[in-house]
Amino acid sequence: MRREPFFWISISCGLVIMAFILLPLIEMMTAPSLSMLKETIKDKDVVRSIWLSIYTAGLAALISFVLGTPLAYLLARSSFRGKRLVESIIDLPIAIPHPVVGIAILSVAGKNYWIGQILSELGIRIMGSVTGIVTVLTFVGIPFYLNATKAGFEGISPRLENVSRSLGASMSSTFFRITFPLAWRSMLIGLIMCSARAISEFGAVVIIAYHPMIAPVMIYERFEAYGLKYSQPVAVWLVTISLLLFLILRILTSGNRKKI
Amino acid sequence: MYGVVAIVLLLPFGKSFGDTTGKIIIFNAGSLTIPFAKMEKIFEGRYPKVDIIREAAGSRKCARKITDLKKPCDIMASADYTVIDQLLIPAYADWNIRFATNRLVLCYTNKSEYAKEVNAQNWYKILLKKGVVWGHSDPNLDPCGYRSVMVLQLAEKYYKIPGLYQRLIDNRPKANIRPKSVELVALLQTGNMDYSWEYRSVAVQHELKFVELPDQINLGNYKYDTFYKKAVVKVTGKKPGTFLKKKGKSCTYGITLLKNPPNTQAATAFLQYMLDPQGGLKILKEMGQPPFIPCRVPTAEMKARLPKSLRDLVEVGE
Repeated sequence: MRREPFFWISISCGLVIMAFILLPLIEMMTAPSLSMLKETIKDKDVVRSIWLSIYTAGLAALISFVLGTPLAYLLARSSFRGKRLVESIIDLPIAIPHPVVGIAILSVAGKNYWIGQILSELGIRIMGSVTGIVTVLTFVGIPFYLNATKAGFEGISPRLENVSRSLGASMSSTFFRITFPLAWRSMLIGLIMCSARAISEFGAVVIIAYHPMIAPVMIYERFEAYGLKYSQPVAVWLVTISLLLFLILRILTSGNRKKI
Repeated sequence: MYGVVAIVLLLPFGKSFGDTTGKIIIFNAGSLTIPFAKMEKIFEGRYPKVDIIREAAGSRKCARKITDLKKPCDIMASADYTVIDQLLIPAYADWNIRFATNRLVLCYTNKSEYAKEVNAQNWYKILLKKGVVWGHSDPNLDPCGYRSVMVLQLAEKYYKIPGLYQRLIDNRPKANIRPKSVELVALLQTGNMDYSWEYRSVAVQHELKFVELPDQINLGNYKYDTFYKKAVVKVTGKKPGTFLKKKGKSCTYGITLLKNPPNTQAATAFLQYMLDPQGGLKILKEMGQPPFIPCRVPTAEMKARLPKSLRDLVEVGE
């Protein structure tokens, strides 16, 4: 590939994309002054909203992990009629406009719908609650977990599992002793993708819950009420903290790469 | 096909209207967008050579575009008629016609708790009940939000029930607030909320049921402006931690033609249509914004400053 025109085209396209992604972000990250950043992080409301963002996104990832892993395994290992349909349904939340997601969830959570009626009898409220935020974030995040994990399972040869089964291990023991140790890295990437997607969600959340405020909603509220100057520092803190978290996760897990 | 025939038939008449051609630039308050869109369609149907360009924004922002940004504009329609008095007269406009009102109503649906019982006498008792979910928009972001809070304050004074306002607010968890009042409509329609505060026009345009409140508290009648003033709501100021106070005031819409507008002839023709009880005012009425029939200016002296073709459509009134 070296020295050929194709090589140089690839390099220049890559540079354009890097600049396209980084320039606006760098501009935004460097806009607020240090004193402004300090003042912002002393604001209890800001800290509370960033924390709420992180832990609701984390919960969404956890739910995706528990509910999504068996389905991802099923999709990776078996072929059945309607599999394509199931896969397209999984991708739907990625394609739907965000406010529509919010409205759709509200419409099943309201008293006009049987699920809403059951929830209200159980005393569970979706509107304006942390439960509602987690519901939305799971909805938008779960496709990313499913797709990454499915790809991970597909990358593991079924032969390994067959050997294990032929030696007498049960299906679940094979999964936990063979498949899981081999696939956990892609599962982790799935979890990171899922929570990254969840932490960035705004349009669907603001419809379900304005208060309690997650960080993106607070950024919007600050922008509307006070303008750019007071919304940017919150954004910088959110981006910095989530980047750090994801970085730590990656570093913690990179040591095990060789095993796969 | 019929449309083409109609246009061909209308063409010769179009010429007979003289100079009514070209662009008319209108800055209008956001809440007028839907009725103005309909008026635009009808007016442009009558005058095919006219192209109405509308820019919707908050009323103060509309005025600032004229005074600070010097943007060209023919007509400015404000959701608060005092904005024209304060920011445009005398430098940018000579007169200010009050043409419509709006007021706060309490919206609900068939499925709302106590939907069958709620009325203008008992609405606050219902909003005080545990389990009734009601909300309003964010007073810091949406004028409808602080106006909703003002209605609650005025209710305490009007019904003479000390502490009513605080008790009402205590029964409205923060979670029931949304950035803009229109977003509450979706919460009502999906059964997530029982009652929400909206402008009457929004309620009509979204086909919601609503309770009409007495004029003394609905912020719809400028004759009660001195009473409305007793409602004061603290909203956020220019930076976090700072606040300013908003005083109650009626929702009275005002419209003006700017001095030396880019297109006097066509803009005056539009105003003539808009202020006509059979024209624009009828559309406003259909859309839930009660018009003044006829429209009003405060003094005979101001009436004399109006273009001749508009004088018959306007009366002098308090």
